[in-house]
Amino acid sequence: MATPKGGYFGKMLEVDLSSGKISTRAMDEQIYKDYVGGYGLGAHLLYKELPPKTDPLSPQNILLILPGPFNGTSCPSTRLNMCFKSPHTGIFAHTEVGGNAGNEFKWTGWDGVIVKGKAAKPTYLVIHNDKVELRDASKLWGKDTYETDEAIKAELKDDEFRTIVIGPAGENKVTYACIIVDRFRAAGRSGGGAVMGSKNLKAVAIKGTKAVPVANVEAYNKLAAEAKDMCSNVEAWQGVKRWGTAGLMEFANFVAGSLVAKNYQTSWYPDVEYLGAEEANRTFWKRHTACPNCPMHCMKLGVLRTGGKYDGLIAEGPEYETGVMMGTNLGLVEFEGAMKGIEECDAMGLCTISTGNVIGYAMELVQRGLLKPADLDGVKLEFGNAEAAIAMVRKIARKEGKAGALLSLGIKRMADKLGGDASKYAIHTKGQEMAAHDPRGFKPRGVSYAMGQQGGDHHEGNTPDGQAVFAWCCSAVTCTLATATPWAKRRPGIVCEMLNSLCGWNMKDEDFWTMGKRFITAARVFNIREAGISRKDDVLPVRMTTEPLPEGPKQGAVFTEEDTKKMQDDYYAYYGWDANGIPTPETLKSLKLDYAMEVTKKA
Amino acid sequence: MSESKEGQKGEVVQVTLDRRGFVKGSFTLVGGMLLAIEASKLVGPGLLFAADAPGKLKPEEMMKYLYAVREGCTGCRSCEYACSMYHNNGLVRPSVSAVHVKKYKNVIDIPMICWHCEDAPCVKACPTTPQAIVKDKETNIIKYIDDKTCLGAKCNKCIEACPSGFLRRHPDTGWPIFCDLCGGDPQCVKACQAQATDTAPVLSTAKKGFGVNLAYRNVNVKDAAEGLMQTLYYPNTDGGRR
Ligand code: SF4
Ligand code: SF4
Ligand code: SF4
Ligand code: SF4
Repeated sequence: MATPKGGYFGKMLEVDLSSGKISTRAMDEQIYKDYVGGYGLGAHLLYKELPPKTDPLSPQNILLILPGPFNGTSCPSTRLNMCFKSPHTGIFAHTEVGGNAGNEFKWTGWDGVIVKGKAAKPTYLVIHNDKVELRDASKLWGKDTYETDEAIKAELKDDEFRTIVIGPAGENKVTYACIIVDRFRAAGRSGGGAVMGSKNLKAVAIKGTKAVPVANVEAYNKLAAEAKDMCSNVEAWQGVKRWGTAGLMEFANFVAGSLVAKNYQTSWYPDVEYLGAEEANRTFWKRHTACPNCPMHCMKLGVLRTGGKYDGLIAEGPEYETGVMMGTNLGLVEFEGAMKGIEECDAMGLCTISTGNVIGYAMELVQRGLLKPADLDGVKLEFGNAEAAIAMVRKIARKEGKAGALLSLGIKRMADKLGGDASKYAIHTKGQEMAAHDPRGFKPRGVSYAMGQQGGDHHEGNTPDGQAVFAWCCSAVTCTLATATPWAKRRPGIVCEMLNSLCGWNMKDEDFWTMGKRFITAARVFNIREAGISRKDDVLPVRMTTEPLPEGPKQGAVFTEEDTKKMQDDYYAYYGWDANGIPTPETLKSLKLDYAMEVTKKA
Repeated sequence: MSESKEGQKGEVVQVTLDRRGFVKGSFTLVGGMLLAIEASKLVGPGLLFAADAPGKLKPEEMMKYLYAVREGCTGCRSCEYACSMYHNNGLVRPSVSAVHVKKYKNVIDIPMICWHCEDAPCVKACPTTPQAIVKDKETNIIKYIDDKTCLGAKCNKCIEACPSGFLRRHPDTGWPIFCDLCGGDPQCVKACQAQATDTAPVLSTAKKGFGVNLAYRNVNVKDAAEGLMQTLYYPNTDGGRR
């Protein structure tokens, strides 16, 4: 078994919560050469180690916590990746989060954690370099994410620990519960919080003081510095430094015609002016914050200075997605309510994107008389009612009452349960709520939602090769915003060169594209095995294909049948999949995924 | 003692202060002139650096200090990366970086730097003879003699003595980690300035003078954090949820 010369430590932690056994698993260098880390490695390990058709909320599901090779080195803008089988969609889940946990993790000297089983009572995992222990979390159970982080640092008497925590939503196994890092950063999509909750795992506390080995230090640091400059100097991203991604809210409304408002009933919402970056700048923002070694500082921390009910609220945001889903999508006109909604999602440990979608969907069902106040415990869930939305966030997290029970299902299951016309207004792909960009107004986004391997997510890539790039980012575990465009558009080979000098490898530039295809195809065969995913599932919600946008810059636009067909055909052709979206035997062979042959033959 | 100088109208005036505790004194900005109310002695023009000048070095060479405008810190930790790479064979290892960025309630990032105190409390606390650390008048650094002279983990008196909580123990050896100003070319400053393409950089080098080597000297992490909470997040100064 070969050990990498750098970038990895060659070992992972294996934690079986059922037995309390903690062990070391030696990792062969070849698996890293083939799958790198994060997304790619996660897809591969899940395929190999998860028994087919495992119930995602059962103890058998596996939670992989995976920093990448670049974490903790001089590489800019690294994050933390987690992979598991999603309880929300039943397919592959990869979720990434910024903040300090990813690098801290790497400095502990482990390449990742494989969490299995279920603890008998609430537990949290402490990783302090080589010292790893499971501790009782009974006192933390029920606490929000902020309180949990503070309580852990107090209990460990060390505020240098970084934490990965779940809130009440994860404890209650809401299938779109997220995992929170650094109080306001969320590994949002696909329900990782519910997987942790189902394992009785409240948190992971991490402190590392080691250095990541580097094969050729001088060459690597030079490349990493160049890579950082490339991140910093993308002309199109300069505004993101100043205005965060929230600055795109006004742009999406007035220019792109792709803003999401009132559950995708329209993309024209001039009141965005009271919810977007300019308003945040006037009454909320105070500081820029950045992930480790990132020159973008796209996050904005603020304190509400509106003099209203939530005066003094401290939070991070809004980002484009959170601001839209908890703001314009709910038909709000006040910044204060939207910001409180976002903060409440972070504290409860709910994916803000899915939560905003779900509440917006319920509001439309109320508007159309398909849901009655009696179905919602009397809450007046109407567009524009911020208080009702905030109350609903808390109810969802606790699955409280009829409303909490219903809305915590997520859009697909709600539509299935309600039946009738409800599915007409259900906006999701593969069971995943879509992320704040209307693909009628901005068609490339349709590729991300329809073709991405975890359903309606915005971090999947807007073109076939763009998805390979994003899968690379999520495998090398760098930020898709800060690194995808600057590296891939100008010099994708830089990633291979960095890995060569970091790990002592001999990758060639063209390997970049082959490996990108491997990561995505590995996730695809997992999805085929688990849920029979094929062409029929690579589609957008019916509203996108039948209802033209009623107003705004892209008035009349619709995602046509031809658009769908072209999107699918181009994608399958690029990845070497057949017309039904199943990887061909030749493709599997060329990508070293022969092991999936049985499964694709049956599909 | 503190020294100060009154300048001509509109001219920037340097004030040298080297008495601990003076930080609690008050300053007023009058008509473009910095006036140290508490200053007891005025010195003539040109004498500003005379007291310490050893002759050979130019004042700007010897007067290097680190300075931080902490309000703008993004918590990017580029400074820690740079410091550890420079002193650790090119490897990133924030746990051995001299400069370190503390997170408080996950809403404040406080870059902790050495103020290179004139009458450094860390030096005063060092029990060995000869002392394992000395204030180097030429470079301004607290010079760490060597691992043999220093008692390391069983002592760490310097760490306890540093009023701003800057000093930390090396996680492997227990020796204190001092800032050597990178031999006169602070890497943390370069890194901070490079990442600050559209914000004001937080770290800089500055000559000894008003606000420098002085402003934060008695301010530990908690005080600094609470001060910043006041400044940045009023009315929510405890940082809790609302
Ligand atoms: S740890 Fe070393 S430098 Fe610090 S006080 Fe003790 S002997 Fe002096
Ligand atoms: S700030 Fe602390 S370490 Fe630096 S000189 Fe002063 S007492 Fe010593
Ligand atoms: S000046 Fe040099 S030694 Fe001191 S903190 Fe900065 S990088 Fe580290
Ligand atoms: S480099 Fe500057 S902005 Fe970044 S953490 Fe250090 S002091 Fe703060």
